[in-house]
Amino acid sequence: MMTDKGLYIYCLAQGNQEEPLELRGLGGQPVMALLHRGLIAVVEECEAKSIQSEDQKVLADGLLIHQSVVDIAWERYETVLPFSFGMVIRPMDGKTAGENLKGWMERESEELRGKLMRLKSKAEYGVQVIWDPTIVLPKIRHNDKEIQDLEKEIQSKPKGVAYLLERKLAEIIKKRLEEAANVYFKDFYQRIRNCVEEIHVEKVRRENPPKQMIMNLSCLQEKDEVVLLGRELEKIGKIQGFDVRFTGPWPPYSFA
Amino acid sequence: MEPTRQGRATLVDLLDRVLDKGLVINADIIISLAGIPLIAVELRAAVASVETMWEYGLMRDFIGTHPRA
Repeated sequence: MMTDKGLYIYCLAQGNQEEPLELRGLGGQPVMALLHRGLIAVVEECEAKSIQSEDQKVLADGLLIHQSVVDIAWERYETVLPFSFGMVIRPMDGKTAGENLKGWMERESEELRGKLMRLKSKAEYGVQVIWDPTIVLPKIRHNDKEIQDLEKEIQSKPKGVAYLLERKLAEIIKKRLEEAANVYFKDFYQRIRNCVEEIHVEKVRRENPPKQMIMNLSCLQEKDEVVLLGRELEKIGKIQGFDVRFTGPWPPYSFA
Repeated sequence: MEPTRQGRATLVDLLDRVLDKGLVINADIIISLAGIPLIAVELRAAVASVETMWEYGLMRDFIGTHPRA
């Protein structure tokens, strides 16, 4: 390996053979398995500089190739620690990128092995719950005396006063929806928590209005052992006004 | 309910993971992607325009069936 080259890193795994993966990576170079004391780093030789391109399409392709390589390595080695997109190891202090990577693997060896052990045979699943407040609201309104009284009052008042009361009503509705979302979140979280080994709460994403994502989770579970989780999500998805998205299995990015 | 890896919403879910999650090396031997938050926003848009997972599948076929001699 030339000393001035960098190494793009895809993932780490456990193994004892430095066999080629027979893949091309995002730079078009062969993907290699770099072995160091029972740990394998899946890498590709590249320029020792930041992955950059003016062309978004090139970067987007690179991202998909990154994930594809991690996926294929995941199939081969059963357990991987996936790296975030865009990490390049550089040569420095007279050492090649490969030597630097091995040095890092040596220093972090215990922690990396511990992580690989914890993630053995496990996969990550994405769970998102989306609700339509316009469908849920009538139920809330039906059970809320304060809202009902205010609505009656608005009808009996002159326009100016009614306008102010309507604003007050909108505030109360907003608050009730937030409270309801919170109650649903806690309930769903507990039910999902019981079906998986580990769980991370992620930031919610924007949905097309009026729909809103009220829950975005990353769940760690034995690969393909998600029958219980699937059943629970099906129940949640049957509640009127709620949709559930269930994605995966993914390499355990959120738990690496 | 079965988990899926198909569809546009799924692709966004995957992107969030590959861009924001995953192992990082915090040491001077690493050159990381400069300006990640900005790139992430642009990449999400670029990848969201990829025709669902079709192109993703194609990518996988490409890297898997064209090994270097």
